[in-house]
Amino acid sequence: MSSDSLIELKGVWKKYNYRETFHRSIREDIFNIFRRTRREELQDGEFWALSDVNLRLSGGECIGFYGPNGAGKSTILKLIASVTYPTMGEVIIRGVVAPLIELGAGFHLDLTGRENIYINGAIIGMTIREIREKIDSIIEFSELSDFIDMPIKKYSSGMHLRLGFSIAVYSSAEIFLFDEILTVGDEDFQLKCLERARWLRNNGRAIIIVSHDKKLLNEMSGTIYHINKGIVSTEDVKASGDTAHHNI
Amino acid sequence: MCVTIAVIAGKIMRLRKYRDLLLIFVWREFTVRYRQSSIGILWALVQPLSMMLLFLFIFSYVLKVQNSSYPQMLFFYAGLLPWLFFSSALNYSIPSLTTQYQLITKIYFPREILPISGIAVAFIDYLIALALFVVFLVIYQIKVSWLALWMIPLTAMLVLFTASVSIFLAGLNVYYRDVKLATAFLLQLWFFASPVMYSIDKLDMKIKVLLFLNPLTFIIENMRRCVLEDRDIVYWQFFLVGGIVALSYKLAYRYFIKIERAFADVI
Repeated sequence: MSSDSLIELKGVWKKYNYRETFHRSIREDIFNIFRRTRREELQDGEFWALSDVNLRLSGGECIGFYGPNGAGKSTILKLIASVTYPTMGEVIIRGVVAPLIELGAGFHLDLTGRENIYINGAIIGMTIREIREKIDSIIEFSELSDFIDMPIKKYSSGMHLRLGFSIAVYSSAEIFLFDEILTVGDEDFQLKCLERARWLRNNGRAIIIVSHDKKLLNEMSGTIYHINKGIVSTEDVKASGDTAHHNI
Repeated sequence: MCVTIAVIAGKIMRLRKYRDLLLIFVWREFTVRYRQSSIGILWALVQPLSMMLLFLFIFSYVLKVQNSSYPQMLFFYAGLLPWLFFSSALNYSIPSLTTQYQLITKIYFPREILPISGIAVAFIDYLIALALFVVFLVIYQIKVSWLALWMIPLTAMLVLFTASVSIFLAGLNVYYRDVKLATAFLLQLWFFASPVMYSIDKLDMKIKVLLFLNPLTFIIENMRRCVLEDRDIVYWQFFLVGGIVALSYKLAYRYFIKIERAFADVI
C-alpha cells in the first residue's frame, strides 16, 4: 500500500518510577553525563512502562490501541510525539505529528473561539498564514460559527471538544494521534469525526487511535494492538476481515 | 559582542521553524493579561510610577537624602525601568513551563518558547514605560546627547542576561518547585543588590567590586549615566560584563537543552 513507513518503533523499552521522581532524576541526569548507568536493569522502585515494543506504520494506515488504563498506551503516543524518549531502543518518526490534545490543553478560557483557533493551530504546527487560510473551514466543520467570537469559558465541554477536534483535523501533519477523542460531542458530530478520520487515512495520513471502544477500533483500524502492562501484542482476528474488505 | 551575535544566531536557527508559535504565544500572553481589565495597557505604567512616587516620598521626606544633581524622580524612574523588566520577566517565565504541563506532556515544540514568550511580554511593558521616560526627559528639559544611544546595547545586554536567568530557573522549576517559592524572596534580595534606589558612584572601591558581581549593577548604573548624566561608559567594563552575560546565556541555554528531554517525565 505504501513505500516508506512514517513511524517505526524498534525494540523500544521505557522505564518509569513508581515514586515521585523529580528529586532523583536531576541528580541522575547530572551523573549520566559522567557515567553510563546500566539501562537494562531496574533499580529500586522502577518498572517497565513498555517492554520491547515493535511497531511500523505507513501513510494511509490506521491502527488502534486497546487496553486497560495505565497499560502504556499514552506512553507510546508520547514517544511518537517526541515529548519523551525511550530508555532503550529506537523511535523513528518521518513526518509532522499532530496529537489531538485533550480538552483544554492550550486553550485559554478568556479568549474567543476564533483566537483559540490561532493558538491551538500554532501549537499543533500550523503557520499563521495556514490558519488564516483554513479558519473558515475549521469554523464550518465545528458548527460553532454563532459562538466563535465568544470567550470559550462560556462554551460547554462538548463545544470545547468540537473546536479542538476541528482544528486538529485541518492540520497538514502526516501523523495523527487520537487519544480517546473520536467519540466527541453528539451522535451527528461523532459520525462526522469518523468520516473525517477516514478521509485523512485515505489521503495518505497515518492514524493512531486509542480507545476503549472495540467496535470503533474494528471499524476504523487495520490492526488493533492490545497493550497490557507495557507489552504490545497484535490481534489477528481482524486482519483477515480487513483484507477481505480491501478486495471488494 | 561577536560572541553575543553568534549565540543569538544559533538560537534563531533552532527556533526558526517555530517562529509563528512564538509569536502566537507572545500575543496570547499579552492579550490575556489585559482582557477584561478596565485600564488595559496602562497597567504597564502603574508599577514604575507608583514605585517611583514611593521612593520619592521615602528619600525626600523620610530620609531627606538627595541622590542626584537632577530631579530625583528621574533618577528613580531610570533605575526602575530595567529592574521592573527583569523582575516581571522572571515572574512570568519561571512558572511558564509548569503551568503548561498539559502541552509539555502531549506535544513537542522547543520548550524555551514558553519562558521566552514571558520575557517578550515583559519587554513590551518595558518599551511602554520607556516611552514615558522619554516624555519625562522632555518635560524636565534634560539635555540628552548621542551617548544616550548606549541604551540600545545596554538593553540588549539586559534582555540577554534576563533570558539566561529565566531559562535557567524555569528549567530548574520543572524539577524543584522550590524555585517558584523562592522567586519572590530572591527578587527582593536582588533588588537591594542592584543600584535601583541608590547609586554606586560614591561608594568604596571594595563595595563597588562586590556589587559589580551582579551584572544588573553595570546595566542599571550605565543606563542612568549615559542618558541623565551625559557620561560615557567605561569600555573595558562594557566588554567584560558583555562577555560574562554572553557566557552565562550560552551555559544556561545549553543546560536547558540538556534537561529539556526529560521534562515530560518529571513535570
